[in-house]
Amino acid sequence: MMELNRRRFLQAGGAAAVFGAAGCDAPHKALWPYAGLPVEAKPPFAPPSGDSIDLTTHVLNRLTFGARPGEHERILRLAKREGDAVALFIEEQLAPEKINDDRAEFRVRIFETLNSRPIGEFYEFQPSLLREELTRATLTRAVYSERQLLEVMVRFWSDHFNIDISKGECKWLKPADDRDVIRLHAMGTFPKLLAASAKSQAMLTYLDGRENRVRKPEDRPNENYARELLELHTLGVHGGYTQQDVMEVARCLSGWRIGRGLFQSGNVQFEPGLHDGRAKTVLGQEIPARDGLDGRKDFDDILRIVAAHPSTARHIATKLCQRFIADEPPAAAIDTVAGAFTQTNGDIRETLRALFFTDEFRGTRGNKFKQPLHFLASALRATDAETDVGKPLVNYLLRMGHMPFEYPAPDGYPAHAEPWMSTLLWRWNFAAKLGQGQINGTRIQHKRLVARAGDLAKLAAHLLGRQPGDDELAAAEASKNPIGLLLASPSFQWS
Amino acid sequence: MKQAKAILHGNGDLRQTLVVVFLRGAADGLALMPAVGDDDYYRARPFTAVGKTAALKLDDRFGLNPLMNALEPAVKEGALTAVHCVGSGDTTRSHFEAQDLMEHGGHTGGGWLGRFLRFREQAVAGALSAVAIGQAVPESLRGAPAATAMQSLDDFSFSGGDKFVQSLEQLYAGQTGVFGVRSRDTFNALGRIRELHAKDYSPANGADYGGDRFARELRLAAQLIKARVGVEAITVDLGGWDSHLTQGPLISPLMRRLANGLAAFRRDLGASMRQTTVVVMTEFGRRVSENSALGTDHGRGGAMFVLGGDGAEGRVIADWPGLKRDALVGPGDLPVTTDYRDVLIPVLRRHAPGADMARVFPGHKAKPLGQAAESA
Repeated sequence: MMELNRRRFLQAGGAAAVFGAAGCDAPHKALWPYAGLPVEAKPPFAPPSGDSIDLTTHVLNRLTFGARPGEHERILRLAKREGDAVALFIEEQLAPEKINDDRAEFRVRIFETLNSRPIGEFYEFQPSLLREELTRATLTRAVYSERQLLEVMVRFWSDHFNIDISKGECKWLKPADDRDVIRLHAMGTFPKLLAASAKSQAMLTYLDGRENRVRKPEDRPNENYARELLELHTLGVHGGYTQQDVMEVARCLSGWRIGRGLFQSGNVQFEPGLHDGRAKTVLGQEIPARDGLDGRKDFDDILRIVAAHPSTARHIATKLCQRFIADEPPAAAIDTVAGAFTQTNGDIRETLRALFFTDEFRGTRGNKFKQPLHFLASALRATDAETDVGKPLVNYLLRMGHMPFEYPAPDGYPAHAEPWMSTLLWRWNFAAKLGQGQINGTRIQHKRLVARAGDLAKLAAHLLGRQPGDDELAAAEASKNPIGLLLASPSFQWS
Repeated sequence: MKQAKAILHGNGDLRQTLVVVFLRGAADGLALMPAVGDDDYYRARPFTAVGKTAALKLDDRFGLNPLMNALEPAVKEGALTAVHCVGSGDTTRSHFEAQDLMEHGGHTGGGWLGRFLRFREQAVAGALSAVAIGQAVPESLRGAPAATAMQSLDDFSFSGGDKFVQSLEQLYAGQTGVFGVRSRDTFNALGRIRELHAKDYSPANGADYGGDRFARELRLAAQLIKARVGVEAITVDLGGWDSHLTQGPLISPLMRRLANGLAAFRRDLGASMRQTTVVVMTEFGRRVSENSALGTDHGRGGAMFVLGGDGAEGRVIADWPGLKRDALVGPGDLPVTTDYRDVLIPVLRRHAPGADMARVFPGHKAKPLGQAAESA
């Protein structure tokens, strides 16, 4: 059956489909905002055939924003045994720099503001345009990027190092933070990511680091960043630091500001005159008194101390396990992941690899409630939707309270399921509209999707990641909008 | 306990609704709420002052502009609190900066209303907990757990037909735990939205909204509140207050629209006003002295109103410095003697007694109303 379909597809002009418009289903040229982007081939595909979520689907659910048609089949073909195939897929995703992502980058290229350099150039744009393009680029990559694990980790770190774009100059500075801090280091090492974040103009603004000045010995430092550095970014709230440590860290980090002059606009600079050069003790370690420009060494000392603290390994491991395993992560997995983090000095890839091979990760399936962005992206990916990621689509994130870069407190969007469970109404509405082609700028090709899967039951298996139940299939057929119904169904809300 | 019940049923029956009307462009506090008891007011505004007897009396010092007479019943029944010399710490006198600061609730990210909805006690927000009537969600709602911009009920429609909803209900019937509870809440809300669309709306108690846009938007707000779909915050804008030239003809129709709209809304809601509070605010007030073009320029302290259930309001709050030159700030502006956040805090406390105001207004040192604030 598969063979026949494939042969028929080729006869029907599959080769043409790879390079250009293919038949009546291809997007109309005039509506195609990505001139020059070749239309993708959309061949038939084999959906998962198990009665419950198999390992391949599970890994797709967790490491990506959802399976696209054919992805399950592609992974299985990587090796003879499913376990080996999945291991190869994990390796592939752990090395995003080796994945060709031209198609997604092509789509993101239209967001020109995001390429500004040096940082001062961002100030030439309207904040509303910057916010819009950054948001649209984020959602575009979640849907279309082949470097899916990277995108998942970019969201993870964006919450971990949350910056609300609407605070003060963050309007102009967050796009650079997203590009040069979060994206650049998302799959690198934690110490480098942390150091880049600590010197990010947006972070210095959001948590008032740039206001942290000590001119005279009696000046009290601004401890906002120091507190969140310990509480949220590294050790965690019960990580064993004291109020005294917060104050001492704040003193160490005093004197960093953002340059204003003609040629250094936006550069992060150390000013000895604003730094507290006296000796300090942080988490039991002595920081010697330092004069003048030497004071900048405090920064390196502090970042080294907090990044290497055992509480930091546990804190990051716990959050990763929460993201990838369960809202209440199992202790054994946290131990393993924290161990890998410590042994590799915070190498993010190694830490993730250890996580993905724990029994707890492998065995806990279908129990993570999708956050709204994950839900939207997974629906669009599952249906091979073509979208310009315009306002009608992005507005669903606003309605579900999950606009990127707009969480109004430093701790980032909640990682557990409960706060998101009130968003069902908009999920159902979105699913119904997507199924009926009523979202402006976004469309799916129903008939073709069913034909590619083989029949409705097989398409349902693709959408749900397992064979549909009789009730699900019956409901889909009765609904008059089967794709919409399946996307709105209970199972599709979980990954 | 009451709150928990409302959440369980998801119908918003017991929820309170806060309506925030933002007068964009900086409305002139001395036009809305003239200082008819202060002779210096007449010296500062020789051509545009409101006559002492013409104003609707609030107390010995202040009246309401007679163009706002539609609010007379609200004043008489103790449903309107009027605040003078109120504003934020913004000294730029820039509309954009001042609106931003006021809507963020301080030098911080996100909006005060968004943070209130996200961080109040038992913060279970329904899908329709915050509605911005207009094209876009305002800054004040940034970070809300749910926020929908709507211009008409159509923006609120559920596109799935009966068959779709029935099929969905079958699949969700077996769901348990919090997920099951929330899904049943959602079906309830869905039912109410569908009812809302099914019948034409006619305002109650003979309320007459008139045909202007602001009135239509308040009518929509009333319709949503009465449909009990769980709306907890609604924002509405009324723009056009930037009256540098010929202030009278510019803002007279706006004052009339503001008062007529609010009066009709209050009448339409009737007993539901007990669970509803309307706050009217603007980014800053205007210069005390009128300019040569019979307009007024950007100032500092302005006016603010709170409309609530009968007897719940009915105060005049004004730490009034007088209008002598040395009492004014900058180029001749009323100082800000009451911080707008101190007006909002008691309102928010009524709506959610356990809300942590330090999270809603980070960095703000709250002062009980009526006590003098430091002039910023």
